[in-house]
Amino acid sequence: MADYMNLILEVQPTDSEHRGYYEAARAGSLVVQRCTGCGLLRGIIGASCPFCTSGGWEWQAVSGKGVIYSFEIVTQAIQPAFADWVPYPVVLVELDEQRSVTWRWGIEDETVSLRLITNLVQRDDSTRPEDEANVAIGKRVEVCFVDLTDDFALPQFRLSDEAPEHAPWPAG
Amino acid sequence: MAGLRDKYCIVGIGETSYSRNSGRSTRDLGTEAVRNAMEDAGLHPWDVDGMLNYHVGDSTLSQTIATDLGIRLDFYTDTFGGGSSTETIIGIATGVIEAGLCHTVAVYRSMNGYSGLRQGGSIGQGRPPAKVVVGPDLDTTPYGMTSPAQNFQLTFARHMYEYGTTSEQLAHVKVACSNHASNNPRAYYNKRLTVDDVLDSRWIVKPACHLLDCCIETDNATCIIVTSADRARHLRQRPIKIKSVAGRVNKPFQGMHSHYQCDPITRQAGYYASRVAFRNADVEPEDVQVTGCYDAFTFTPVLLFEGYGFCDPGQGGEYVSSGAINLGGARPNNTSGGQLCEGYTHGMNLVIENVRQLRHQADDGCPGWREGKHSYDYSEGRCRQVEDVELAMNMGWGTPAVSSALILGR
Repeated sequence: MADYMNLILEVQPTDSEHRGYYEAARAGSLVVQRCTGCGLLRGIIGASCPFCTSGGWEWQAVSGKGVIYSFEIVTQAIQPAFADWVPYPVVLVELDEQRSVTWRWGIEDETVSLRLITNLVQRDDSTRPEDEANVAIGKRVEVCFVDLTDDFALPQFRLSDEAPEHAPWPAG
Repeated sequence: MAGLRDKYCIVGIGETSYSRNSGRSTRDLGTEAVRNAMEDAGLHPWDVDGMLNYHVGDSTLSQTIATDLGIRLDFYTDTFGGGSSTETIIGIATGVIEAGLCHTVAVYRSMNGYSGLRQGGSIGQGRPPAKVVVGPDLDTTPYGMTSPAQNFQLTFARHMYEYGTTSEQLAHVKVACSNHASNNPRAYYNKRLTVDDVLDSRWIVKPACHLLDCCIETDNATCIIVTSADRARHLRQRPIKIKSVAGRVNKPFQGMHSHYQCDPITRQAGYYASRVAFRNADVEPEDVQVTGCYDAFTFTPVLLFEGYGFCDPGQGGEYVSSGAINLGGARPNNTSGGQLCEGYTHGMNLVIENVRQLRHQADDGCPGWREGKHSYDYSEGRCRQVEDVELAMNMGWGTPAVSSALILGR
């Protein structure tokens, strides 16, 4: 359990999916679920494998490096504590470990990638949002962590030193 | 496979006024809408034996509404859901009648969408933000991502990046709705707007949602009555035939956020729902004369038009800004003003409007609208009836990953 932005973040005793995720983050490791049946990685935490139905999975550490696949800039906060943050970015980060792969039950042009949703935070302060002018599709990012308690940290992403993968959008 | 094409009809429609301060319970609003729909159809309480509604924990359920109206139910169920529910439960109504569970179903939605639970959940108003975050909410709430505009925005932004869709193109959706609403005395907002009005309104979420790109929030109830074509023949109104329904068709990853794992994230689930809807109705997009697209935001019709094949992927921005969706255009959309201007009902008012269009009884500024006499002069305060309309389609949006559809014929 952790107090963050005037929210109580709680992994309940029955929450078998989220257990372990924030502890790994506190130890400085970004982990994702890896299916022990088909080996594919899951970017959104779940109870079973959407690629093969297997119920077996394990946490796998990933590099925490990726690219901004999409983003948004929130200018009107809903949660009260975020009023001090506006305008703040939410980013859809595509991690390097699994990009545009096909899976058994995909049809036509469907592919899956390993994507996380976080904020883009400042490079030198993971508790503050990145300036909206610096947020763009195509820019490279890396994971960082906001330590909240002895066993709970929240993963965030920040801009990395790597060159953008393609011309950033929006430009400028 | 033809589904139940033309076997069932919409025979009654009912609404309350659209307001922001109803000062009434959802029970009171709901009974008024159902009563109005029965009156419209020429049905008595003892003629209705089925009831369906949808809600998000913000409404009054079927048994209470039915009891208040003296309706004795042989079938009812209350389903959880918002956008995309209307078309879906109309489909359920046809199914349960076909199965012999009942013969005439009142479908309703009652909500105080402004003075009660607000979907946008702004600070200090409506739903108090949750303090304790557990389960799947841990994946997004700590990142300040909770409202519909925030949840859908990653799809909108990617579409703008991939296809060059612009805010100006999106604004045309609002402009068209405002023009249509100016010919609808019931519309909550009936002032005609310009593209600049939309672009000059304050940002809610960038890059796709200014304030005026977002639908309005209102208090209201709406009702639609479904029965068999046989029974429909003896009722007050011209029956409007249900040609096909697609109900809550999904993308492969169905959650609000899990769908971002699967490309193309710019594809709305209507891409998949269209196959069910058009096949069972035995029509093509070109045959459709009027559309009703779920307009939670100006962007949602863009993606629905692409998904259902009214234009190619990436061409939605061009389609909505071409004039096609305006009254007098090739295929007018949301002729009542939609949820961007008339009122927010989680989609049911969009179906009600298409029923009016197919009856040729849009209640506009034409003195003879009840007799189907219209001027087809679409200037402010005048007509909003589409000429000789025979086929209309509703396209529902739950999230980018969920879509429903309803094709209706005269």
